[in-house]
Amino acid sequence: MKKLDLQKLKSTDWKKLAKDFWYGKPHGEQRLGDLYQSKTGLYKHREWRGVKDTFYYFHNIWLYNYAHMVMDIMRFGGPVTFARGLWRYRWMGQTYLPVLHWFDRGLEGMRGEALRASAWHYRAMVNVSINQFMDMFKADGNLRGGEHNDAWYHAIAHKETVWGGVFYPWADRFKHIPMEMIPYFVTCHVNNHTVLNYIDAVQSIGLPGDPCPMCQAEAGLFVLDDMPDYAPFMVTTNEACDGSVASTAVQDWFMDVPLFAMPQPMQFDDPLVQEHCANEIRELWKFVEEQTGVAPNLKLLREKLESQNKLQRFEWEKWDVDANTPYYPINGVAQALYRIYQTQYGDHPIWHDTDKKVRRIMEKCVAEKIETFPKTRHRVIAWSCAPLYYSHWCTWAYNCWGLNCVINMDSLMFDMTIRTDDLDDTLLDMARYHEWAPMRRMAVGGMHHIFELWENMERFHCDMVMMYDQLQCKGMQGVVGLFEDEFRARNIHAIWMPHALPDKRTVSRAEIRRIINDYMTTVMQEEPLDPSLLDFDDSESW
Amino acid sequence: MRDLKHLIFFENLLQEANNDLVKRAREEGRKALGYTCYFMPEVLLDLSGCFSVRLRAPRSTSPEMATYYMSGRTCHYGRSLMERALEGGFNFIDAQMATETCTVTCRFQEHLQQMDIIQNPNFFCEFTDVPFKKSENSMEHFRKQLQAHVLDKLAEKFGVDTSDETLLAAIAQHNEVCRLITEIGSYRKLDVPTITGYEFHVIQLVTQTCPKDMILPYLRETAEELRTREPDRKPAWRVKVVLAGAENDDPNFTALIESCGALVVADRYCYGSLPGREEIAVAEGQSPLDAIAHHYLNTSMCPRFMPKEEMRGRKKYLADIVREYKADGLIVASNKFCEYWSYERMMDALILPRDFGIPTCSIEKEYVNSASGQLRTRFQAFIESVEIKKIQGEAKR
Amino acid sequence: MRKVCKFLFKLLLICGGIYAALFAVFFFDLDGKALFYGVEPFLVKHYDKMPRRDPLSKAYDVGGEKEE
Repeated sequence: MKKLDLQKLKSTDWKKLAKDFWYGKPHGEQRLGDLYQSKTGLYKHREWRGVKDTFYYFHNIWLYNYAHMVMDIMRFGGPVTFARGLWRYRWMGQTYLPVLHWFDRGLEGMRGEALRASAWHYRAMVNVSINQFMDMFKADGNLRGGEHNDAWYHAIAHKETVWGGVFYPWADRFKHIPMEMIPYFVTCHVNNHTVLNYIDAVQSIGLPGDPCPMCQAEAGLFVLDDMPDYAPFMVTTNEACDGSVASTAVQDWFMDVPLFAMPQPMQFDDPLVQEHCANEIRELWKFVEEQTGVAPNLKLLREKLESQNKLQRFEWEKWDVDANTPYYPINGVAQALYRIYQTQYGDHPIWHDTDKKVRRIMEKCVAEKIETFPKTRHRVIAWSCAPLYYSHWCTWAYNCWGLNCVINMDSLMFDMTIRTDDLDDTLLDMARYHEWAPMRRMAVGGMHHIFELWENMERFHCDMVMMYDQLQCKGMQGVVGLFEDEFRARNIHAIWMPHALPDKRTVSRAEIRRIINDYMTTVMQEEPLDPSLLDFDDSESW
Repeated sequence: MRDLKHLIFFENLLQEANNDLVKRAREEGRKALGYTCYFMPEVLLDLSGCFSVRLRAPRSTSPEMATYYMSGRTCHYGRSLMERALEGGFNFIDAQMATETCTVTCRFQEHLQQMDIIQNPNFFCEFTDVPFKKSENSMEHFRKQLQAHVLDKLAEKFGVDTSDETLLAAIAQHNEVCRLITEIGSYRKLDVPTITGYEFHVIQLVTQTCPKDMILPYLRETAEELRTREPDRKPAWRVKVVLAGAENDDPNFTALIESCGALVVADRYCYGSLPGREEIAVAEGQSPLDAIAHHYLNTSMCPRFMPKEEMRGRKKYLADIVREYKADGLIVASNKFCEYWSYERMMDALILPRDFGIPTCSIEKEYVNSASGQLRTRFQAFIESVEIKKIQGEAKR
Repeated sequence: MRKVCKFLFKLLLICGGIYAALFAVFFFDLDGKALFYGVEPFLVKHYDKMPRRDPLSKAYDVGGEKEE
């Protein structure tokens, strides 16, 4: 038996211990890196955030979300449908069960209002994800021996980069379900193991390794026969890039249903393109009407757009607080993922519920002047396309270095409301909205939009740039030199973060951290807030 | 076969983008208009007072400066053009008539807009938006784009006459080039062709990179020469192949394939003549610009087109070319980092052998093919396998 | 009354036990560990073994259907 070390006991600061127990250790003393098991990223134990926040996390995040996941499954189709889908699809079973770990990674070190507001964003994304995959499974012919049920006839399949809003006129009778959003996009954030199967699958039939890995994975889903057969037709687009256009050919082959292509122009500043684009939406509606036999409900379109506009207006309020105060309660990863999900998918009741809750929290923060990220050393803007397998880098960077990622490029897309008083104006705005899609408006659209970085740095009062360097994005790779020139000319601290979107094998999370660490120590000459986070092995983690 | 009279002259023209004919035309006060893609109708750039030059970067080596600007992970073609521009090799162009039809060439051209690269005081770079479909909405859009971003710009900046009469004259000249190229290319359909793939490649390229009126006399003479050209008694090739794929303005690549024992009988790639050298038809009552917009969208077989029937129709088009040109096999080559052709090549390599019984060799190449040894091995192996199949087929018969 | 109290006490104990167990699962990341070491490998094995249709055998009609 170990001898009681009286000396140590005597020197223990009991008051401090009690304080740490009650309030949680202050930032810098937490040693969050010590909580990880090597390689797996699992926790030896979850973080003690003080009594109030630990039990908030336990009740209102962990228990609440597990319970609501079960309730969502019951509400959106039932456990049998869920179990069949889980058994059939790799992306379902392998990815979505460890969803609470996705919360953990994104919310590490968060306290108080930042923890609460960010968690509500996660909850909303989980709800919409469950809604979507349950809708897929309910309609899925693969789960019914090839038989097509009523749900199949009432589903619209579309590429995830087609904005869900173009289907608002059928929202009361048909479910629009993006093909890849759940099987591919969300999986990368939750469990980055799954997507590797799809990338390998498409390369196994002859695709070289260099095209955009997102499009590779999207095509690979079909190659691996892991795409539900849930709709009688599909709608595709050229968003975001050449890879999306090209991979459509693979999807068309394996899906083999009537297809409508709704491309968006690249030179979208040209006033001449808008009418063309609006006409494409009209043609899409004609196609959907032909396929479904149901005319577009324009009243419903207006209602849904107005509802969506409400979301946008709140986003502007959020940005105002984010840009001009230290009281913004949403962390970098929650901001980025929620915003891209909400705007790309389109209107959904959960976004409104969440915004209400977040508004309350944000108003409280402003009224009571609660500094939500008190250890901020640098206000960072993240630019270009983010690493999907390490979207929570901003949580790590704040905890380790005090780098507070206040805004990112994808959040700034779709930055508009849509007029609803006149159909022609509505269509023009819808066209414009679609042109301002993520990975598109700035990354591969007209080049000068990429340099909106400078004005957004100013607008959000940022002093540092996290420059995502998606190694296989031809649009962004094609402009790296000009960025280097500008960074030098403007004397801006920018860290290039290389990554391959969903594929962690190209640049690991550890490598990304090493690059940031190196910059912070050598260029910025700063000391880490939490040295335990500098170097750890999470190579096998979700 | 007897050497073509003008072949060396043509080859010399391809050594520089700013070749002798381009220089002569500029000395006459004509404006040189650069472009990179079939979607920019060259006929519109060949109006009186100006001429089109499809940009190439011959004799490129490693594009170091361009790699700083565009990284080493973008298409070598786009970077080589950028390098040539940074070296001053494109200072002769008075305008770049740009399209955003693939990301990297788009980026190259955007650099010309953003940076002061082209040392030519009146230089400008103007983008045209090109649709992804061939629907009426797309046609209308394309026509408006060409009017606003090509014709109106040329009139505004250089005072070019863009009347229907001038357009019709340009179409007539363009059609003559197309007729001659089609005629010259048709000798590749013979059982024993009287023109090599390399020769054709050179001839096709000079029509894209030189002022049309200046190259036409040589083309006419070459066509005349070919009418009586006799094939070799014992041809050097063992199999005939169609070469398809991404951007290819390097006749030495065709020569490399032919040095391995194949004859390249059809060129279905960017800068090739299939499609590309079809005559433009102007219907009665139709405006010339409308005819041009329709022609370029309708004839293009670019993997950029997204509708189902276009994506699938491209496979049939390729199979039809193989049959029409009596080829024994198909080589599909994509440039490294080309998104469009990476997928198209993969699909071609899967569908054409399976559904059309066409032996297919799928390769990835660079703009500058320094690693020709590896390619040679691939081609030799493919040609051998096609040859064996051919012999076995003949034996069965 | 005593019986009711006893029942309530038992119920409280059971609920307390469940609550403590759940907290232990939460705090020691037992859910994560079970999923990582148990569920995921099991499911991965299942998905790897699963018979799948060969997409390359799917017909490719080059006539195509009209888009509009």
